Amino acid sequence: MSGDDLNPAAVPQPVEDLHGDGRWLAQHARFVQECKDGEPEVLFVGDSMVQLMEQYEIWREMFSPLHALNFGLAGDTTCNVLWRLQNGELQNIRPKAVVLWVGTNNHGHTAEQVAGGIVAIAQLLTNRLPKAKIVVLGLLPRGERPNPLREKNAAVNRLLCSWLPRLGQASFLDVSKEFVHADGTISSQDMFDYLHLTSAGYRTLAKPLLDLLLQILEETPEDRRASLV
Amino acid sequence: MSAEASNPAATPTPCEDAQGDGRWMSQHVRFVSECKEREPDVVFVGDSLVQLMHQFGIWRQLFSPLHCLNFGIGGDATQHVLWRLSNGELDNISPKVVVLWVGTNNHGHTAEQIAGGIMAIVQLIHNKLPHAHTLVLGVLPRGRMPNPLRERNAQVNKLVQDALSSLSHASFFNVDPGFVLSDGSISHQDMYDYLHLTAHGYQAVCEPLHSLIARPDTNGTLA
Repeated sequence: MSGDDLNPAAVPQPVEDLHGDGRWLAQHARFVQECKDGEPEVLFVGDSMVQLMEQYEIWREMFSPLHALNFGLAGDTTCNVLWRLQNGELQNIRPKAVVLWVGTNNHGHTAEQVAGGIVAIAQLLTNRLPKAKIVVLGLLPRGERPNPLREKNAAVNRLLCSWLPRLGQASFLDVSKEFVHADGTISSQDMFDYLHLTSAGYRTLAKPLLDLLLQILEETPEDRRASLV
Repeated sequence: MSAEASNPAATPTPCEDAQGDGRWMSQHVRFVSECKEREPDVVFVGDSLVQLMHQFGIWRQLFSPLHCLNFGIGGDATQHVLWRLSNGELDNISPKVVVLWVGTNNHGHTAEQIAGGIMAIVQLIHNKLPHAHTLVLGVLPRGRMPNPLRERNAQVNKLVQDALSSLSHASFFNVDPGFVLSDGSISHQDMYDYLHLTAHGYQAVCEPLHSLIARPDTNGTLA
């Protein structure tokens, strides 16, 4: 596993306001506020793949009922997610499950570095939330046809598969296979721009994810059960 | 308005495949195919604000019945749309209306340059589709609180609205229902990231737009 201090993908970093409208920080500040206001059982954190999920009906159908919060931010790399989690987005909350989905935007990093960054985030989550289960989602293939980024994301997934079990509380869910057809293409019916999921695309992912989350939530620890009486 | 040669926002430019997965070109090629296969009455062209519209229920509800095609690509600036429309995305079709919504991603360009880019697209559409009416949607405000991009976008709208006023084949339509609240803020209930619209935000934008396009006498012409 890459040493964190040598891995640029495991260095916390906020996003620079290049455009001048402060949107990244505004979203982060809102998430920090939501931590003060809410008591989520499930926390989703990551990039646009997470963020967009909340905009579709599927979120209200499947994940809102679980008392889920969505801290997805488009464009984020592992560095940005790490920074956000260390700067308020885990304050005052005790979710039972955290869904982590990030890595596809780490363009300057190798597959090893990206996987190392994801594991670093999972480690941080485990440290801060010792009772939570971490569900790491595999990076989906991207691009209409086979291309280097597909190979890179697949390599990240292979590394995660072998590294995550060492964390004990982390599980890995990879639905990549569902999206690539026999001829190697990805359909715009699943990913409207060959990266971001359509409503139909999200359903493919949501079913197994929901099953996993329901399983985790059912494993209510004894002290919680007592307080429900 | 700037001459095309010296205005980067009005110079047709394809998007570079910086990431290595060729997605921009794939989407463009798909749109060109759709032009060969379909006979749309309305074509929507622009950036992510156009593209995402297609992903919400409101598209199927309001626009599919009007035989619309959606040629939005996330991240596109005026020069990218200009390139796409010059390279096949207006071929083999004869829509009555082209809805154009672009300009917010023209980072590094002045309001004058961006307006020049939008007008270059309007001219191109008129050259290729002399019988179509182009509806140019105003660029929305962005960012949670007041900031320079809001001013830039407002200035673009003003310049474009002025330039369009003398044309009969194109018109300006302000789709901002008042997203900026009295305290200067934009709500995340309308724009989840203070740029992209939620389903609720799209409802407010699309209903008046649909009313305009769907009018029986429509060439999208405004009174």
